[in-house]
Amino acid sequence: MPGLIERYGTVAAGLALIAAFAAFAPNFAALGNIINVLKDTSFLAIMALGFTLALTVAELDLSIAEVASLAAVVVGWLVQSKVSPALAIGAALATAAAIGVVNGFCVTVLRVPSLIVTLGTAAVARGLAFMATQGVAFVGRWPTGFTGLARGATLGIPNLVLWLAGVTAASWALITWTRTGAHMTATGEAEEAARLAGIATARMKRLGLLLSSLGAGITAVLLAANLSSAAPNMAGDYFLYAIAAVLLGMTMFAPGRPNVAGTVFAALVLKVLGNGLVLLGAAYYVQDIVLGAIMIGSVAVSTVVTNTPAFANTLAFRARA
Amino acid sequence: MAETGGPDRAPLLSLRGIGKNYGAVVAVRDVDLDVYPGEVLAICGDNGAGKSSLIKIMSGAQAPSAGTIRLRGAETRFRSPHDALLQGVATIYQDLALAPRLSIAANVFMGAELTRPLGLKFLRVLDRARMADEARAYLRRLSVEIADTRRPVAGLSGGQRQAVAISRALRWDAGIVIMDEPTAALGVKETAQVLDLIRRLKSEGRVVILISHNMADVAALATRVVVMRAGAKVIDRPAEGLTPDDLGHMIITGRDVAQ
Ligand SMILES: Nc1ncnc2c1ncn2[C@@H]1O[C@H](COP(=O)(O)OP(=O)(O)OP(=O)(O)O)[C@@H](O)[C@H]1O
Ligand SMILES: [Mg+2]
Repeated sequence: MPGLIERYGTVAAGLALIAAFAAFAPNFAALGNIINVLKDTSFLAIMALGFTLALTVAELDLSIAEVASLAAVVVGWLVQSKVSPALAIGAALATAAAIGVVNGFCVTVLRVPSLIVTLGTAAVARGLAFMATQGVAFVGRWPTGFTGLARGATLGIPNLVLWLAGVTAASWALITWTRTGAHMTATGEAEEAARLAGIATARMKRLGLLLSSLGAGITAVLLAANLSSAAPNMAGDYFLYAIAAVLLGMTMFAPGRPNVAGTVFAALVLKVLGNGLVLLGAAYYVQDIVLGAIMIGSVAVSTVVTNTPAFANTLAFRARA
Repeated sequence: MAETGGPDRAPLLSLRGIGKNYGAVVAVRDVDLDVYPGEVLAICGDNGAGKSSLIKIMSGAQAPSAGTIRLRGAETRFRSPHDALLQGVATIYQDLALAPRLSIAANVFMGAELTRPLGLKFLRVLDRARMADEARAYLRRLSVEIADTRRPVAGLSGGQRQAVAISRALRWDAGIVIMDEPTAALGVKETAQVLDLIRRLKSEGRVVILISHNMADVAALATRVVVMRAGAKVIDRPAEGLTPDDLGHMIITGRDVAQ
């Protein structure tokens, strides 16, 4: 069983990093800066939680950023056209969910590997987003009933942070408390074993991919509300960060396995790192370089710690007779 | 309790005219087989004789091309391994059936997790504590002591893993446990442990059907031996008094040593 260092080593490193920035980066510890970091973490972590649930059933969802951009465009378009925010949000989430359903169908029924399927639906979603906007952004004075979802605060806590707490709690409860969560985990860990034990593995895979898209949809609504605008590529910057958060999270708490707590904490660490580097005056491109190194390093760490090749279940292009 | 079944007792599982083709390949032809309570039935035969194919039909992994299956007297079909499990026929797969990174308890209860009510009646959550306790109890019934069943399966020996797989069968209270070469990949000590597990199952009154190429294992364990050859059942007799050499001879010649 992985020991304390394997489970909490990178957690401790993350905490040390946060402490170091608090001590040395100018203004890092200012309340305003911390709130900004937390808000920015929310977008990232919610999207990354979706990816985590897809990876829990051993599928990759590379469409999350484009799905989020498309959903943002849908909600922006409708809000701009004076449709009620509730309806607009429903339409955006339904759009995201529909792509999740298509992803699940292609993976489980057509048996195309998720790596390929989600690259394909990502391209389709990007095309649809540009079609809807004709390449320009929807910007306007949107009702506070909508923008308040992201910009407002409840009982002094920023709403974005509450959304993150809610999505985290729901994901965590699903995976650790419910039979469905146990079935998703078993499907991802050992598909054949799960199937022989009577678990509806195809259904679990469809569920993981659906929830992944839904996470992207929620992120999209919050992004659009926060910016009062929607552009056809607005979530693109979050893509690598979201994947990095999941991979870094896999080195925490449950080594080698995608997990909710790891993803959320890793998202925070990545955002702190980005923020701290900016405050320390590092050039903007340093962030990208560090991010890439973290992605590769995380998987290498997982592999060494668990002594099994990472993604052994995920990337195999299995063919079943 | 009688050691072997006989015509005076009702068979638990009964196959009639079972055949299986894979395209032009006839893997199993016209097999009749009755399995009685209390038996350890060994299915022997050369490579390609059709043993695995026959067992897959009994475990629900494959549908027969011909013939009928009766379970406790009633005709039935196994639509999947899970369907067979629901009807009390469990199959222990060599490598396929465990998730190494999940806990022992999660593996024992895979697909049949225990839950407890959470405040409201309709809201139920996983009952990990009870699953850990019950997994430990199942393993103890097999004489395997593992104090912490929340540990991952990955750290267990081959014999202990078999015990975890068999515990899952106990969890389903399977009356018939099927094993295809349960000791094939194991060392001497672990093989002895698995043979012991099989004896435990038998002493609990469960039927064990196993395929083995190890004649010493078969002679030590089986109460009845079936020999297959080119898809057909050529010998079906009590195992009592058979030596490993007798068994080897019967497999090669396809003739009963007594005849
Ligand atoms: N899926 C399949 N497709 C085609 N032919 C098959 C398939 N499975 C088995 N066969 C053929 O059926 C025959 C019986 O195979 P089976 O695996 O049942 O033998 P076995 O007695 O279990 O052999 P072994 O001792 O080598 O495990 C063989 O000729 C085999 O090649
Ligand atoms: Mg075989």
